[in-house]
Amino acid sequence: MTKHALRNNRPIFIGLALLAVGAGFQGGKPAADEIRIGVVMPITGREGKPGQYQREGIELTFKQINQKGGIYVKALNKKLPIKEIFYDDGSDQAKSAGLVERAMTSDNVVAVLGGYSTALGEAESVMPDRYRVPWITPGAAATAIFSRGYQYIFGALAPIELLGYTTGEFLGSLVDQGKLKKGLKVAEVVENTDHGVDYVNGINRWIKEHPGYFQVVFSEKFELGGTDFSGLLQKVKNAKADIFLSDAHLQDYITMQRQYLQSGMDHQMISYGARGPEQDARKALGDGINYIFAGIWWSDNLPYPQAKQFIADYTAFTGHKPDSWYAAPAFDATRILAAAIEKAGSLDKTAIRDALRTIELKDSLLPGQVLRFGKNGQVNTPFVIVQNKPGGKVDIVYPKDAATGDPIAPKPR
Amino acid sequence: MKLPADRAGRRRRGIFRAAAPLLLLGALIALPFAGLGPNGTRLLFVTYVWIATSVGWNLLGGFAGQASFGFAVFYGLGAYIAALSINGGINPYLAFPLAGAGAAAASLLIGLPTFRLRGPYFAIATIGVSEAVRVVMTNLEFTGGASGYRITEARPFHQLEHYATALVLAATAVGVSIVIRRSKFGLGLIAIREDEDAAASTGVNPFAYKLWAHAAAAALTGAAGGVFARYAAFIYPPGVFAFQTSVGILLMPIIGGIGTIWGPVVGAAVYGVVQEELIARFPQLHLLLYGIFLILVILFEPGGIVGLVRRSLQRIERARRHGGPNSASPPPEQVLRRAGSAEGRQL
Amino acid sequence: MTAADLLNLLIAALLLAGTYAAMSVGMTVIYGVMKIVNLAHAGFLMLGAYFVYELHERLGLDPLLGVLLAFPAFFLAGMGVHWLLVRWIPSSDKPTLNSLLLMFGLWLVLQNIGYLIWGNTDRSILTARTLQTIHLGPISIPKVGLVVFVAAVGSVVALELALHKTWFGRSVRALMQDRYAGRLVGIHVERTARLTFGLGIAFAGAAGGLLAMLYSFSPDFGGTFLLRAFVIIVLGGLESFSGVAIGAVILALVETFSIMVIPAGYQPAIAFSLLVVALIALPGGVASLLQKRQHLA
Repeated sequence: MTKHALRNNRPIFIGLALLAVGAGFQGGKPAADEIRIGVVMPITGREGKPGQYQREGIELTFKQINQKGGIYVKALNKKLPIKEIFYDDGSDQAKSAGLVERAMTSDNVVAVLGGYSTALGEAESVMPDRYRVPWITPGAAATAIFSRGYQYIFGALAPIELLGYTTGEFLGSLVDQGKLKKGLKVAEVVENTDHGVDYVNGINRWIKEHPGYFQVVFSEKFELGGTDFSGLLQKVKNAKADIFLSDAHLQDYITMQRQYLQSGMDHQMISYGARGPEQDARKALGDGINYIFAGIWWSDNLPYPQAKQFIADYTAFTGHKPDSWYAAPAFDATRILAAAIEKAGSLDKTAIRDALRTIELKDSLLPGQVLRFGKNGQVNTPFVIVQNKPGGKVDIVYPKDAATGDPIAPKPR
Repeated sequence: MKLPADRAGRRRRGIFRAAAPLLLLGALIALPFAGLGPNGTRLLFVTYVWIATSVGWNLLGGFAGQASFGFAVFYGLGAYIAALSINGGINPYLAFPLAGAGAAAASLLIGLPTFRLRGPYFAIATIGVSEAVRVVMTNLEFTGGASGYRITEARPFHQLEHYATALVLAATAVGVSIVIRRSKFGLGLIAIREDEDAAASTGVNPFAYKLWAHAAAAALTGAAGGVFARYAAFIYPPGVFAFQTSVGILLMPIIGGIGTIWGPVVGAAVYGVVQEELIARFPQLHLLLYGIFLILVILFEPGGIVGLVRRSLQRIERARRHGGPNSASPPPEQVLRRAGSAEGRQL
Repeated sequence: MTAADLLNLLIAALLLAGTYAAMSVGMTVIYGVMKIVNLAHAGFLMLGAYFVYELHERLGLDPLLGVLLAFPAFFLAGMGVHWLLVRWIPSSDKPTLNSLLLMFGLWLVLQNIGYLIWGNTDRSILTARTLQTIHLGPISIPKVGLVVFVAAVGSVVALELALHKTWFGRSVRALMQDRYAGRLVGIHVERTARLTFGLGIAFAGAAGGLLAMLYSFSPDFGGTFLLRAFVIIVLGGLESFSGVAIGAVILALVETFSIMVIPAGYQPAIAFSLLVVALIALPGGVASLLQKRQHLA
């Protein structure tokens, strides 16, 4: 610095001080004429597409509630409209946590809906207990989040471990029906995330509990966003498995399935975890997705009247039909939150949290039609297995009482 | 304003010069008690962490001219070391220096092979190192791998405690930067930046100096990572080791004013505070703005915001002194006196 | 693993190498002449992919045709970028940090322009040949992979021919050897630099189109390829084209076969480690090793 530095630097210090002060004194005061609910979802970045769908589900509920005048708050003896405080975290975990903190502190929300994908959910889940504001995630399902003893977190997605288990159950049922032989070999190729790890744990748990049905001959994790899986697929070929179970994000699902088909591979059953019927996959793979099955949290084929109503409302609201399962849990999570606020009778956050612990949504869209949070905050709704059929059709093939079509197994060559 | 000719006058100015940053520090300490809400505290906390990394990076990239594109590796390593230590029962205030030390040690391992490279080659090599570490950490089981790592503390959370820690960290970083800049070591670093071979011929050992600067920079960045990890209570490799993180760490000092002491601080303040507002309102745009800023800085004002401020002030002062923008050039004595002072840093 | 499997794997690696080579050539050209490390290369890969995609979606144009059209389109774009931004950077015969940072800033801008225009949906190009496989006995070759390989090799060969047979090509090579001497012998350095930049970006755009035929993409497409391009160029020798081919083959082989022995999760670390090792141990790339041999012989 020079002798003239003082003259030149003074404005910088003033600027810094002003920035600091300006940073601090923002934010809304608690409003007595609206219910503020924070929504932190990725709209851009890697998780942007599903995040957008979940946001749409949430906003549909807000719209429907506000059309009826809002939520009735007993303590204030009137109906208050919902105000959405929305933030896009750009699929960045640090930003996600920071935005949830912001919503919970300076924006004075009574609850936060957020966290599509496990990583964002994990990061956000630190904040609810810290600021004692209830938080519901319609998009993060890793059991780890809910096993830390947090008191203010809730999850509207059933655990991925259960998804893996249900997949095993489904395959087992095919053996019982005689469609698949006993003792088939399974290759597991999953993404290196909580999602992939939980999925594999669920499958393995089922296989262990039911000896003789299947054996795992290959199990490896791959890095997200890979360009070339030929080496990995070669390893799978070497393992000479009969069933190929993968768990991947949409991008990797497309790349891997392409290379799978191009290398002429074939297995009796193929799955990509929770991915299968997505529109983008069909656009990218055409007939290449036929017969792939997936375990998902909701399907538009479910025969419930509330599901049909939701599809109609959603399509009118957004201009497109629900793509796969993403919007439905978000829709229901918002509904159950609204119901809990009403049950609590006030805008006190802990009262709302207590209401969330006991409330039940009896016309839930999700399989089983009842939504209720478990002891650790996570729901335990059953999964449905869907299978892509030729001609762009998607059928629910498991469980039997929700099925709209028969499972095709083994996959035709 | 004329330079005071007498020594007493200059001492007065010296005290005044030190007073300004101290006043700022005092204001920042007082802010939480003056009504700064939790969100503001959080914002400033994040800014302080960024200041530490920005000032740290500047030690190597600004003073010594070795621009690393892979500083996330130190941020991430510091975060994990601190996280593991705190979960292992070590006092957090010991964990932070531990994190810094660990990062510094890593910097030696990384610097030894890579400092043979110059300029862009060095930059590319640092990307390779950082990404390789990220992939390894994503697969390492005992730190949680891709699932990330959670810090659980028995002590309840006090936001002000974190605020104070981060402020101390940022102040330390700036202090270290000032001390280095004024020392012979700092002069050696600048000589290396201007012309490494010429510096070597004057007795400076570029390799050793670079390693030391790297270690100091890594230590600050690692400690910052640790401080952040404790606040966020959850870290995972695609977050702390991300290339985006490296990008952010180098954007701050460049936009603020690379090679100066306060430039990185300004850049970090802009990044921390302004970015937050941008993300909240225009999430898609902030990287676009940074890209444009970067291009503008490179093309027009390599001195960054600080350089811009200085040049504008000089222009204003020149105009004011000579009574108008089109006045005659200043008398020779004043030109000579002004020429004796060093100009703002160039890239 | 049977011999057929080994052969299949080798073929997969070779096809990958072709793609990698085409992707790296653009960067090499720009670096060789102007000593600029073009980080925005990734951005142009992405734009090339979207360019071919849009032509396919809206006009039903075969992606190969789209790639062909990408050459002139991106050539002009490249010259435009040079005129707008790059010419202000002081020229030098050593790579500078300023140019690196400038191109990096450009990459950030391009990425976000991509976001603003196309959002972040994953797109992909599906044509009849995407899922077809050519079977030669036990060997299976994906049709689209073969097509991309041929196109990639073809473009690199065309570039080599242009560099050796045309006057422009020779001036480019002269500048790569010695910028100042080139000026002395009458080469218009600034104009050649602009044309070269355009050429490099043309190859980036076309390569992006080729990649779009193979992979799905979104606006932050290009980042992973950028790092691989670095590896290839450094491995091969930053200023030689046969070097690029060699580097591409080495990287593709290492990536494809290493996964047989290490867990799949570590695969990206291979590329990165190779990069660092190559930068440190072989600053002139494999090509420098070959050159040394020639001199000694």
